[in-house]
Amino acid sequence: MAELQGLGAVLTELGDEGVQILAISPDANEKSQELAQKLRARYRFLTDRDLEVTRRYGLLHAHGGNQGQDVARPTTVVLDRRGIVRWLQLADSIQVRPDPADVARAVRQLGS
Amino acid sequence: MIRYWPALASVLLSLGAITGYVAFLRVPAVRNHPELYLLAFAVATVIAAAATWQAARWPNFVALGLSVVLLILGGYFNFVLAKIPPAPAVLRVGEPAPDFTLPDAKGALVSLAAFRERTPVVLVFYRGYW
Repeated sequence: MAELQGLGAVLTELGDEGVQILAISPDANEKSQELAQKLRARYRFLTDRDLEVTRRYGLLHAHGGNQGQDVARPTTVVLDRRGIVRWLQLADSIQVRPDPADVARAVRQLGS
Repeated sequence: MIRYWPALASVLLSLGAITGYVAFLRVPAVRNHPELYLLAFAVATVIAAAATWQAARWPNFVALGLSVVLLILGGYFNFVLAKIPPAPAVLRVGEPAPDFTLPDAKGALVSLAAFRERTPVVLVFYRGYW
């Protein structure tokens, strides 16, 4: 849950500026959503069950799961109001997770 | 026992690196720098090797064996198992993100385009568990 709490902290830090976080994975579930609501984070958990969007975004890590299943490459993307990519972090190792401070900085630099 | 302090220091350094990494996994500065635990294993190996060179006694061999095994396993995990092969560059800074529509946890459809001209969006792709 480290990522969720970390990015929740980003939102707290950014105040109510209206940043929407969309967390995408093959098996987002209601438990994640409930936790997000408890943290009062503006999170929506989206289910990309067959990884179609993940693949279209070029973020498929084939056979990368712990049972050899396809998973997403851990990636964080900041989009401005026009939907343009302004900041991007692609993990090259499964150990790496987004640093909330970097995400917060990228969002602030949008100058919204 | 005093003369085995380098061996003891080597073992404590190795175990401390593992404990520290696991304990501070939530801290991005620790989590995103796995090379730190490899560095600790490497230093532990050097200390134990020097101690073994000085005195070929079992505590020194134990420390050397432990640190070498951890260095190999840690290196294998970090440089081989954990690596993600390069991906095609679809996303580029300055270009629009492809639109999509996906169901949320309650089944309601969410479209990226719905946020356009309204709010900035952070997309987080993750491996399916937190």
